[in-house]
Amino acid sequence: MEVDSVDETLFPIAVLIDELKHDDVSLRLNAIKRLSTIAVALGPQRTRDELIPFLDESIDDEDEVLLALAEELGNFVGYLGGAQHAHLLLPPLETLAAVEETTVRDKAVESLNKIVLVLDAKQIEEYYILLVKRLSSGDWFTSRSSSCSLYSNLYQVVSPANQEELRKSFTQLCTDDTPMVRRAAAANLSKLTKKFSKDHVLSDILVLFKNLAADDQDSVRLLTVDVLIAIAETFNPKENKTNILETLKNLSNDKSWRVRYMIADKFVQLAKAVGEEIIKEELISTFVNILRDNEAEVRTAACTQIPGFCSLMDQDSILNLILPCVKNLVTDNSQHVRASLATEISGLAPLLGKQHTIEHLLQLFLQLLKDESADVRLNIISKLDRVNAVIGIELLSQSLLPAIIELAEDKQWRVRLAIIENIPLLAGQLGKEFFDEKLGSLCMSWLGDPVFSIREAATTNLRKLTEVFGVEWSKQQILPKILLMSTNVNYLYRMTTVFALTTLAPVVNQQVLSEQIVPTLIQLSQDAIPNIRFNVCKSLELVIPLLNKFELGKILNEQVIPRLNTMVEDADGDVRFYSQKALMVNSGNEVAVA
Amino acid sequence: MSDLDRQISLLNKCQLIKESEVKDLCQKAREILIEESNVQRVDAPVTICGDIHGQFFDLQELFKVGGACPDTNYLFMGDFVDRGFYSVETFLLLLALKVRYPDRITLLRGNHESRQITQVYGFYDECLRKFGSVNVWRYCCEIFDYLSLSALIDDKVFCVHGGLSPAISTLDQIRTIDRKQEVPHDGAMCDLLWSDPDEIESWGVSPRGAGYLFGGDVVSMFVHANNLDLIARAHQLVMEGYKLMFKDTLVTVWSAPNYCYRCGNVASILEFNEHLGKNYKIFEAAPHENRSIPAKTPMPDYFL
Repeated sequence: MEVDSVDETLFPIAVLIDELKHDDVSLRLNAIKRLSTIAVALGPQRTRDELIPFLDESIDDEDEVLLALAEELGNFVGYLGGAQHAHLLLPPLETLAAVEETTVRDKAVESLNKIVLVLDAKQIEEYYILLVKRLSSGDWFTSRSSSCSLYSNLYQVVSPANQEELRKSFTQLCTDDTPMVRRAAAANLSKLTKKFSKDHVLSDILVLFKNLAADDQDSVRLLTVDVLIAIAETFNPKENKTNILETLKNLSNDKSWRVRYMIADKFVQLAKAVGEEIIKEELISTFVNILRDNEAEVRTAACTQIPGFCSLMDQDSILNLILPCVKNLVTDNSQHVRASLATEISGLAPLLGKQHTIEHLLQLFLQLLKDESADVRLNIISKLDRVNAVIGIELLSQSLLPAIIELAEDKQWRVRLAIIENIPLLAGQLGKEFFDEKLGSLCMSWLGDPVFSIREAATTNLRKLTEVFGVEWSKQQILPKILLMSTNVNYLYRMTTVFALTTLAPVVNQQVLSEQIVPTLIQLSQDAIPNIRFNVCKSLELVIPLLNKFELGKILNEQVIPRLNTMVEDADGDVRFYSQKALMVNSGNEVAVA
Repeated sequence: MSDLDRQISLLNKCQLIKESEVKDLCQKAREILIEESNVQRVDAPVTICGDIHGQFFDLQELFKVGGACPDTNYLFMGDFVDRGFYSVETFLLLLALKVRYPDRITLLRGNHESRQITQVYGFYDECLRKFGSVNVWRYCCEIFDYLSLSALIDDKVFCVHGGLSPAISTLDQIRTIDRKQEVPHDGAMCDLLWSDPDEIESWGVSPRGAGYLFGGDVVSMFVHANNLDLIARAHQLVMEGYKLMFKDTLVTVWSAPNYCYRCGNVASILEFNEHLGKNYKIFEAAPHENRSIPAKTPMPDYFL
C-alpha cells in the first residue's frame, strides 16, 4: 500500500489488512467478515493479484476463521472485476473443501456451488472439472466426501462427453471404501436423479441406488429413501413396479429402525411418487405394518402420515384396514406415539364424513381427551375445530363437552390454557343461552386461577366473548362479577379486576366506560398496594384516548386527570413513573422518561 | 423506550446485551444494592423464589405462573447462576429488573454468587464463551459482593439462602456484618449462605464442608427470639418443589424445575398476599417448543 499518501478514508482499510494477520483470532475473524470492504478498497486488479493469493496462503487458521472465509469467498465474484476472473476463487475453496472440520467443508462446497453457476464453458473445462476430479480422488476421505455435493450443479452445464465421465466418477464415489463418502454420495444421489435423463436414471442411478440401499451401514441405507422417491417420480407406475418395488419392500422391512423411520416419515411423499396401483396393492399393507412397528419412534413418525396417506385411498380401506390400527394406537404404550396420533387423528374426520366420524372417531377422541399425558390432551383439544367442521358444534359439544369441562380444571395449566383458547370458538356456535348455562361460570372461575397466565388468558377470553355476544351481554353476565372482585381482600383479585377492565375497555360502549370502568379504576387507584395503583395508571393510559374518542372530556378532566395529578406525588416510585406516563399520553407528548 | 427497557426486552428474549452495557448496568445496580440492609425490609404482597441456576426458560415459566415483574413483587433467594445453560442471561435479566424496578424485586446472595464457586460450576466459562473475555464475569462478581444476605417480610418472615448460624441469634447481629466481600470460608456470613436444616438436635457438621446443620430446637429459638412466623430458605433440591419442616416454622423453596435438565423434580414459588396468606405454586420445566433451539451447527468453539 502507498502509505505515503495518508488518505484518511483508507486508514481503516489498512487496519483491516493488518488485522488479517493479527495474532488475536477474534480480530482476524472480524477482518475476514469484512473482506468485501478490503476488496472494494483495493480495487479488482489488486484483489486478484494480491488479496486472493494472500488468502490462499493463509488457509492454515482456526476453524472459525476458515468458516467465515469459506462463506465470504462464495460472494466474492463481484469484487474480482467480473465473472471471467471467478475461477481465481477456486484454489482457496478447493483447499477449504478438503479440511477436517465439516462445517468449513460444507460452507466451501456451498460457495463452490454458487460460483459454478457464473463460470463460462471454458472456465469449467479448464478449471472446475479438474477441481472436482481432484477432490473426488483425494487421498483423504474429507475431499472425496465434499466432492459428492458438487456433481449435481456441474452436471447440467457440461458437454455429454464430460457428463459421461462425471457419471463414472460418481459411480466410484458410491462404492467408496469409506462409509462417510458413501453417505455423502447417497445424500446427493436424489439431486442427481433429477438432473439425469430418464435413460441414465435407468442405466446408472438404479444400480447405484440398489447397491446403496443394500449397504451394510444403516446410516447409508436410510439416506436412500429420498433417492427412492426421486426415482419413483421419474418413472411411470409400470416402471416403478418392475424396478423399485422390491427395494422399497426391503427398506420398509429393514432390520434397522432408523431406516424404517425414514420410510415412515416420508410415506405420503413416497406414496404419491409410486402411484395409485402400487398404493393399493402394496403400500396399504406396508403402512399397516409400520403403524404396528416395534419401535415407538417409527410409529410416532407413521402417525404424522395418517391423514395424508388416507386421503390417497378409498373410504372402505380406511375403515377396514387403517382404523383398526388407529384404535390400537390410542392405547399405545408410548405417550409420544399417542401425542402424535392426537395431533393427526382429527384429520381423518373430513375423509370419513359425518356418519363414520360419529360412529368410529368420537369415542377415540374421548379416550384421548382423558389420556394421562398432558401433551396428548393438549394436542387433541387444539385440533377440535377440524372435527367441528365435519359433525357440527351441537354433536361435538354434546359428546365432548363433559370431557372439556373436566379438562378446564386440569392440573396442568397449559391444558387449561388450550381449553380457554378454544372457548370463543365454541361460544360463537353454542349461542348465548347454551353458553351461559354450560360454560359461563367456568369462564369466570378462571379469573381466580392460581396461575397468572390463566388469569391473563381469562381476561382476553372475556373480551373475545364480548365481541361475540355484544356489550349488553357483557354488562349483565361479566361486569358485575368483575366489579365484585374489586373489593376482594386478596390483592390478586383486585389486580385481576384492573387487568380485566383494561382488556374490556376497547370493546365496550360509552355508558359502560363512564359508569362502570372509570369509577372502579378511580376507586382502585387509592388501593393500599402499590402494584394495584400503578397498574391503574397503566390502565388509565389506555382509557384516556377512549374517553377522548367518546367525547367524555368532563370525566377525563374532573375525575381522571386530578386523580393522576395526585398520584404523581405517590410515595412509591413506580406509581409516580406510571402516573406521569399516563399524563403525558393525555398531553399528547412522547414519553421521554428514563 | 429507555436503554434499560430495551435491554430488559432483549434479555427477556434470551439475547445478550453488550459488554459495555453490562458494565453500565452493574454500576447502576451497585448504587442501589449498596443502600440495602443485610436484613432487607420487604413489604407483602411478595412472591418468593428459590434457586434458578441459569435455567432461563424455566425462569420465564416462573414468570408465566407468578406474573410479570413489576406487576408481581418478587424476592429471589440466590443461586441465580451456575449449572444451567443461561446463567449470564438469567442473572443480567434479574439485575436489569432490579435496576429498573428497585422496589419490586429483591435479590439475595446465594452460595453460588461467589468468585470461587462460579469458576468451578459454569458461570465463569459461560461468560468467557459468550463474551470472549472474563470482564463480564468480573463485573458480575463485584455485584455479588453487594447483594443483600437476607430479607424480612413484614417483620414476620425471615428469608435467607442457606439457613442459620451458631454465631447469630438475633437479626441485629446479621445487620452488623460487613457483607461487601467474597463469601468467606467460615463465620456468620458463610453460614447464612451454606447451612441446611436437619432432623437433629442443636448443631451438626455439614457434609457440604461449609456452614452447619441446624435442628428444630435452633429454629424454634431463633423464631421466638426474633418474633417471627416463618423462616424461608432455598439451597436444597426438593423433588416436590417445597418442603415444610419443624411444625411449619421453616420452608425450603426450590424454583429450578427438572434441575440440571435431568433431576425430574417440579419447582415452586411461594406467594404471600398482603395479609401474609401463603399460596405455594408448583410448576414444571418449560415445554421444548418454548425454548430457543440451539444452533444446529454451532460455531467452532476455540475457547474450549
